Amino acid sequence: MTTTLVIAAFVGAYVLIATERIHRVAAALAGAAAMVLLGVVDVHVAFFSEETGVDWNVIFLLFGMMVIVSVLKQTGVFDYMAIWAAKRARGRPFAIMVMLVLITAVASALLDNVTTVLLIAPVTLLVCDRLGVPPVPFLLAEVMASNIGGTATLIGDPPNIIIASRSGLSFNDFVINLAPIVVVLLVVFIGMCRVMFRSALSYDEERVAAVMELDEREVIRDHGLLVRSGIVLVAVMAGFIAHSALHVEPSLIALLGAGALVAVSRLDAPEFLEEVEWPTLVFFMGLFIMVGALVEVGVIEAVGKVVTERVGDQYFLASSVLLWGSALLSGIVDNIPYVATMTPLVQGLVESGGNTTEANALWWALALGADLGGNATAVGASANVVIIGIAARNGHPISFWHFTKYGIVVAAVTIAIAWPYLYLRYYAFG
Amino acid sequence: MRARELSEPFPTVGLDSGAMQAAQLLAGQRLPGLIVCDEAGHPYTVLPGSQVLRFLIPRYVQDDPRLARVFGETASDEMWGRLTTSTVREVLPARRDLDELPIVDGDATTIEVAAVMARMHSPVVAVVSQGEVLGAITVSRLLQQIVPEAPSAR
Repeated sequence: MTTTLVIAAFVGAYVLIATERIHRVAAALAGAAAMVLLGVVDVHVAFFSEETGVDWNVIFLLFGMMVIVSVLKQTGVFDYMAIWAAKRARGRPFAIMVMLVLITAVASALLDNVTTVLLIAPVTLLVCDRLGVPPVPFLLAEVMASNIGGTATLIGDPPNIIIASRSGLSFNDFVINLAPIVVVLLVVFIGMCRVMFRSALSYDEERVAAVMELDEREVIRDHGLLVRSGIVLVAVMAGFIAHSALHVEPSLIALLGAGALVAVSRLDAPEFLEEVEWPTLVFFMGLFIMVGALVEVGVIEAVGKVVTERVGDQYFLASSVLLWGSALLSGIVDNIPYVATMTPLVQGLVESGGNTTEANALWWALALGADLGGNATAVGASANVVIIGIAARNGHPISFWHFTKYGIVVAAVTIAIAWPYLYLRYYAFG
Repeated sequence: MRARELSEPFPTVGLDSGAMQAAQLLAGQRLPGLIVCDEAGHPYTVLPGSQVLRFLIPRYVQDDPRLARVFGETASDEMWGRLTTSTVREVLPARRDLDELPIVDGDATTIEVAAVMARMHSPVVAVVSQGEVLGAITVSRLLQQIVPEAPSAR
């Protein structure tokens, strides 16, 4: 009976999150509260259990990166790079789009996607305004590049952070297994941008002078802060690369980096906490408790057994289903709750497969499917929702279908390329 | 003191008046805002000076104020030039709560006037009696009335 009620509470909260009938934080907290009231979750299960409790590695990795971004934002480095890129491109729209796509993709691999688009969107609007070209294609290209670029690393996209924490995969594992395909996908995506947004790429040559007149050096007022922040960021990235060898969790590296940046920046608390998305952190906590309750009552184990029996040793088939299924579901619901629910199941499958290369490829199928599938619709990833909000506030509304018209093509093509990559790398020649 | 006694003659503009004309009124008479009347001449809302600036400065610059530094003179001139091709209606915020007008009755007390200004963050309120605009009260006029005069400098 309790199990049935737990499943009902989980599904109910999940539906509320997916349909956004109430705020997703409220829905996740209500779901977590239901698990407590049903007697499945107590303080030990919620806060101190590695298997069923709040994953503090994920929470503090996100928190640390948010503080790092808050400090980096104060340097104005993103505005500088975007204006510099537009001037280097001599005002040619496609060249500007390519540069902005690359900046966004690389920044998204190193920082959170939402933050990256928040930082790059205002300066994109400025460049488009000066050039007299419609900004929507540029914003769409950036957010999709952000979702693709974020796939490359452990810290690039929240689903990857959850996968890393539950799987024990390192920062380097993500880079080695996902970065090569992400590079290929970005090249293909740039080609797609040329075709998809061709009508927006014509411009008036006389407007180029308006772009060239912009002075990017003006956005960096505190050069000392920029240099100090740059040094700490490089140290943090080196820490991520070496975290396995150092036996230090990425969450601690992010926290140490955040602390170092706060110390060297000498910013006040409201400034270095500016980009901390408290609602997102609380949402994660609620989700972990909801999923932990399913583990606690044995639902995940039971489903895992059935799936394991069905999969047998057909890991490529399982990877294929996971890749396409994750992409489809991530396009419909936010990929964070989806991945939080799927990780215990995939963990069971990988362990029953003996942690072989073929079995471990399931993690990459989940990451690729969830991250790239986020491009499919306007609600597929948090960054999509954010960019649509920025565009609307600036008088350039993007409808759900306008986004989806491009997003679904990008998601389908990138997943279709990732599929043979998985086969060739882990099953044909693995 | 009642609002009708506090009120002073105040320029009004129509919804379809030119934005440049409104801005020139604000600048020329150093006003904190203007009363905007609808087609029938009834007070519609107050246009604060800050809203004119909000209209002129692109939202992306308001979101990321660092970007304000990168504009050159040509871009600045283009920005201010938007006023010549816009109307007061376009300068006003897109959404307006029709129940919330910075308007007081001629018999309103100073506390009532202050409460309307405070609640609506409006630097000026229109004083209306039987649908007719009697004038307006600015925040400086109100403060002059309610704050004791500073001792004169020796």
